[in-house]
Amino acid sequence: MLGIRLFLIGILASAVVGAGVYVMKLRSDNAILKANAVKMEEAISDQQELITQQKQDFKEIMAANQKMNELVGNLKKDLEDLDKRFNKNNRDFGKLALEKTGAIERIINKGSVAAARCIEIASGAELTEEEINATKKSEINRECPSIANPNYVPY
Amino acid sequence: MRWIIITSENAEEVFKRLEEEGIDPVLFGLTDKDFQLIAKNFAQIRNQLKITNDLLDKYKEYYEPEVKDEKDGEE
Repeated sequence: MLGIRLFLIGILASAVVGAGVYVMKLRSDNAILKANAVKMEEAISDQQELITQQKQDFKEIMAANQKMNELVGNLKKDLEDLDKRFNKNNRDFGKLALEKTGAIERIINKGSVAAARCIEIASGAELTEEEINATKKSEINRECPSIANPNYVPY
Repeated sequence: MRWIIITSENAEEVFKRLEEEGIDPVLFGLTDKDFQLIAKNFAQIRNQLKITNDLLDKYKEYYEPEVKDEKDGEE
């Protein structure tokens, strides 16, 4: 009889200890899960921040790209204008230089100075007040109005 | 830099003028077609320079915004 009692008490004690260990393990698992959840939330927050930044970057890249395309278009127009000045209405530049040597010499020297200024501007030089305020054909740098005279609207 | 136009008619006068100015009477010439070509090539180089420079500015603005902020702060 005593043996059975001891056996039952043993089982009961084992069950209590087992339940205790199990609860301890659950608590430990719970703590780990909570820590993981916190880390996960932090990671999600970081990712969301990154996505927002990427969206902002994308917008800025698109805007910069559009601006660059506009610039390329304007520069192309400057180049076409230069070509027109040489060949407008089947103009023969060589023949013109033969007929009006002095005048053409003055024109190309003036153009050469303007072109040198264009290189300065293209390299990052600041525009002068005169260049910024130029709105008439007589005031602009005819070699590169798109970069030298921001307020000039071709007419 | 100075461009001088020489034709068969004014060549003598041009060289004489050079000598009077104490410049060696030697000129490195271009035909009218080559002059057009050099003018257009120069314009293309200038355009490319502008594009590259603007691109570089944009990258700088993106990767070194603090430099710009500091400059703004100083002003």
